[in-house]
Amino acid sequence: MTAANKSFVDSSVDVGDIELRVPAEARYLPIIRSLAATIAMREDFDLDFVADLKLAVDEACSMLAAAAWPGTDLRCRFRVADDAIAMQATALSTVEGLPLDTNSFGWRVLTTLTDSASTRVEQVPGGYRVLIELSKRGPHPADPRMGGA
Amino acid sequence: MTTRARTKNSYEHLAPLFVELAALAEDDPRRTELRDELVTGHLPVAEHIARRFSHRGESNEDLVQVATVGLINAVDRFDPERGTDFLSFAVPTVMGEIRRYFRDSSWSVRVPRRLKELHLAITAAGNELSQQLGRAPTPSEIATRLGMTKDEIYEGLEAGNAYHSVSLDDMLTQDSDNTSLGEMLGEPDSAMEGVENHESLLPLVRELPERERTILLLRFFGNLTQTQIAEKVGISQMHVSRLLARTLQKLRDGMLEPE
Repeated sequence: MTAANKSFVDSSVDVGDIELRVPAEARYLPIIRSLAATIAMREDFDLDFVADLKLAVDEACSMLAAAAWPGTDLRCRFRVADDAIAMQATALSTVEGLPLDTNSFGWRVLTTLTDSASTRVEQVPGGYRVLIELSKRGPHPADPRMGGA
Repeated sequence: MTTRARTKNSYEHLAPLFVELAALAEDDPRRTELRDELVTGHLPVAEHIARRFSHRGESNEDLVQVATVGLINAVDRFDPERGTDFLSFAVPTVMGEIRRYFRDSSWSVRVPRRLKELHLAITAAGNELSQQLGRAPTPSEIATRLGMTKDEIYEGLEAGNAYHSVSLDDMLTQDSDNTSLGEMLGEPDSAMEGVENHESLLPLVRELPERERTILLLRFFGNLTQTQIAEKVGISQMHVSRLLARTLQKLRDGMLEPE
């Protein structure tokens, strides 16, 4: 493992987190969104939640792939809570094109589809790391509020 | 159902019905009767054209249904005043409908028949449950409704990812009159004010087919859920989801292109 790769490895992965790393290119995005949909579906969130999460993850990862330095990875980590799914996605980038534009239509798409979305840039050896964090809450079936409607 | 060869002449007796139909008032009850008679009378044409596409792997029943939709459209749109005969108008219309079906609704990978049927059953159950619950159902609610295991439902939902679009139901409704929906939304221009670089976005949004544009605006500017949109537009939630994904992709690609 090269030094550059090493610097990109994050500190810790919590037990229960699901992580996927793919080349930061558009053609790998279907793999990430399928994973997002599969996680949400198997947690028994409703189909609107599943579809929205899938769109949101697709949008976030598209932004990161567009900002990523060629030949680097895109990393996505999903965390499941009782009534929510959170995703943190990161890519390595140069300073151009950063930070991501949160007034863009794409960002509006993200915020409409999720309950929270944020982005930040961290300096790492040899470049910058750009992150998008989003989380989406749903009326989880385990939640007594569900039931009626 | 008839499979015997027909010549053009076998339909000649139907031609006067078009003239009669065209002369009737919009609300004349006789219209429905004539329309039915014209569609039924020309069914062998639809069946014949459907058979020409039967080697492409879609089931024959589906193809005949699609061709029949094309035939109904042709009957509705045909104008006897124009001087052409119905068949020369109907054949390209029916072929067009079938081509559109292959383009819009084919599975992008080979999916076993069982999974296609499972996926259709899930779509139908999903529509019913949404109606009852007033929100989208969960996989386990669908499993209960269909008397299947959750794993089977997961499998069926995942199979849906390989499906490009539409069930036959979706197709039958897509030409329905939803101008009122468009009017209700107003122009995309006002909705998109406040979005940065909406100048470059607007032309892309205007270029979208009306239904895609409507769905996009309802989701991102009207804040309706996919299930609510599905109900308004008259298609399934899964179809809304696919259309939205495709539209967002189109917009992203369009924004990247140099001006």
